[in-house]
Amino acid sequence: MLTFTLRKLLALIGTMLGIAVLTFVITNIAPGDPARLVAGPNATADMVETIRKESGLDKPLVEQFAIYMGDLVTGDLGTSIVTTRPVIDELKRYAPATLELVFVALFLGVVVGVPLGMLSAVYKDGPIDHVTRIFSISGVALPAFWFGILMQLYFSVDLGWLPVSGRLPLVTRPPDFITGFLLIDSLIAGKFVTFQASLSHIILPAIVLSFPCLASILRVNRAEMIEVLQSDYIIAARAHGISAWRVVAIYALKNALLPTLAMIGLRFGWMLGSTVLVETVFDWPGVGLYAVSSALASDFKPVIGVTLLIGFFFIISNTLVDLAYAWIDPRLRSA
Amino acid sequence: MLKKFILGAVAAGLFASSAIMSPAAAFERTDAGNVIVFGGRQAIPVLDPHIRYDWSTRMIQQAVYDGLLKYEGDPAVLKPWLAEKWETSADGKTWTFHLAQNAKFHNGDPVTAEAVRYSFERGLKLNKGVAWMLKDFLAPEGIVAVDAHTVRFDLKAPYAAFLSFLPWWYVVNPLEVKAHEVDGDYGQKWLTDHAAGSGPFKLGRWEPNVLYEVESVADYWKGWPQGKNRPAGVIYKMIREPSAQKASLLRGEADIVEGLTSDDYVSIAKAPGVVIQDHKGMTTFGIKFNTQVGPTADINLRKAIAYALDYDALIKIYNGAASLETSPIPDAMRGHIDVPGIPRQDLAKAKEFLAKSAYPNGGITLPYVHVAGLEEARRIGLVLLDNLKALNITVEVKPEQWPNMVAAGSKMETSPAMTSVYTTPISTDPDAVAYQYHKNSWGQYYAMAFYDNPKVSEMIDKARGSTSWDERAGLYAEIQKQIVADQPEAFGMLQNRKWAHRDYLQGFNFSPVRFTGEVDLYPLWIKAE
Repeated sequence: MLTFTLRKLLALIGTMLGIAVLTFVITNIAPGDPARLVAGPNATADMVETIRKESGLDKPLVEQFAIYMGDLVTGDLGTSIVTTRPVIDELKRYAPATLELVFVALFLGVVVGVPLGMLSAVYKDGPIDHVTRIFSISGVALPAFWFGILMQLYFSVDLGWLPVSGRLPLVTRPPDFITGFLLIDSLIAGKFVTFQASLSHIILPAIVLSFPCLASILRVNRAEMIEVLQSDYIIAARAHGISAWRVVAIYALKNALLPTLAMIGLRFGWMLGSTVLVETVFDWPGVGLYAVSSALASDFKPVIGVTLLIGFFFIISNTLVDLAYAWIDPRLRSA
Repeated sequence: MLKKFILGAVAAGLFASSAIMSPAAAFERTDAGNVIVFGGRQAIPVLDPHIRYDWSTRMIQQAVYDGLLKYEGDPAVLKPWLAEKWETSADGKTWTFHLAQNAKFHNGDPVTAEAVRYSFERGLKLNKGVAWMLKDFLAPEGIVAVDAHTVRFDLKAPYAAFLSFLPWWYVVNPLEVKAHEVDGDYGQKWLTDHAAGSGPFKLGRWEPNVLYEVESVADYWKGWPQGKNRPAGVIYKMIREPSAQKASLLRGEADIVEGLTSDDYVSIAKAPGVVIQDHKGMTTFGIKFNTQVGPTADINLRKAIAYALDYDALIKIYNGAASLETSPIPDAMRGHIDVPGIPRQDLAKAKEFLAKSAYPNGGITLPYVHVAGLEEARRIGLVLLDNLKALNITVEVKPEQWPNMVAAGSKMETSPAMTSVYTTPISTDPDAVAYQYHKNSWGQYYAMAFYDNPKVSEMIDKARGSTSWDERAGLYAEIQKQIVADQPEAFGMLQNRKWAHRDYLQGFNFSPVRFTGEVDLYPLWIKAE
């Protein structure tokens, strides 16, 4: 198990370096002159040159790359040319918002997706199954930005139930930073009003982000449950008179959850990458929004930083799933 | 099992509902008073007044800093601000400003001539942001603090537009800035998200990409036009999507928004309690031709395209909230003339010019590049595509990200044949527009046409150095006629500036010289029952 873990960690470092090299090359060969953009529309050539020198963009690309990689090893992700702040500081500011959103969305995906998958398997080809099928297909097919706007119009404007955007009401001061997750920090600080406000703000974006994830989990869990429910040990359990609830929720679900677990790991990484649209629609101040605004301004270092961050969490989540698999099934440890 | 599941779902729903059902406030109320919420699409990465100046940044800069002068009203008029009065020498090279005696910074320090000198020196030496406006005419050593409240500028050469740029040069408190200097950076790092100003507001919360708050200064040295109704502050809230802006305004989460689509403005105008501000602006829209490389280097082809374009369609695209350009210089600017014979759609004339061009039968394909995401610019491209079919010219409508468009337009070899460009002049002086057609402007986004007429450049140089308005007015009239004759672009329209706000928001004061979206926060207030 230790060798397996070490092998995975080495692969993680290699992949991160690969991501850094790839994103550096892609962002730097893309057209656009960040120094000119930052200098402003009327800036003269020497003003643009001032910015270029300050941000090291006047150096040959190979030298820029060597400097960047050297800094990266020490944990320095460079400085944003637009905001003039260190990228690592900005990631620390924005990452908790994204992670909080993803965790809540994942939680929704699991707590709704798994039971619905279970139900549709138990009532296969019945009305419940048909409804969940429509539900899951919609989840995969609906574009997040469109679905998000629709939710805003209905729940925020028409019904007036939930806020349109942001993480907190404007005049509400966030709780002291502990985890960066407002839901947790407000509870720790004992600020229940802030917790409630934070919860009301996260509901819509979390639903929109979780919808495709929920749909995938539902379909995978349904398929696995159908297979497991037909296996001999389930038939035997039923023959022994064990209650239907126990057979489904304990015996069958346990085995059906393995592929679902893999799907959850994959979906976690996928959601980190796809927060961009949801964060834009709901003005959720996370790394997705940061990446978009940076990319639109040809501000490369934040783009590389965000890619590395998302890549890191993606690999970690997959590694954890692999480790969980290996822990559950020893045959995989030698694979 | 199903029953348990349903019960569980109901319980979860009840829990979640405790967090919802809270009606939105019409505006934010705090212990200090009412806070106006401005929903804007553009972030404010750096507040330093000598480093950046896009519309959202300048709106907050204007709130926390003061300049020697200030633009107000429609038409925009230069009003005394930190400078109570000023005089200039006969040769137009020396300008002397007398400062208000009671002006003070937020920390209580007086605004002195030395503070003004330091601020201008800082702007020039940093060589960023606003520096381009004055650097060719003013050296740091040309700024002299004559006494505590008199400052003199000795220009290298007469510059007629000098005064018109001063409202955008804000005065910082040198003592505060110097106290925060790091390695001789002129306090750049600190002023990124702090302020050292004397404006009507001081900086409150600064949460990048979320909100930027300013709090009103009760004893602002210039007083408050709305008296006791002054707001407690303004929150500039980031709302990026037009749909979310609209929803926020309808729900009362924002009191004023700036970035709705043309169609949204029409629909939201019908909502109760919503007021639309619709004003003729100075932002011009033109289709810039590459006049040096490719088919559009041929003036007859450019003329043909200009006469084929359906100008009325441009106005329709903006649902009537625009007016056609009658000159390269906007109507609201001094020296503007209606240029006789500026092209309007005339297919016979278009074909006549095409016949004289190197492409008498058309048969060419020309790109039309617009900023990705600008729906109106895309629709104008479709109009052009349709119009040029009559000349057997194919148009490729290409959306492009702004950085890429600027990069392509900085070199004549890569500048597209046709690019849609919106340009907002920085001042009310005609030089601000005329100089865009000077050869020295090549490489800038608004000079993508790479227009070169030595006679025009010479007239522009002469006009900017003249101290006689009559002489300048004559020169600008000639400049406008010559530019239209050379057709470096299809002169399109002036898009109206629009905002939507709740009816309780009072004191909105439009001035066309402000950038798109930019509002003077100083006179705003909430009329609350």
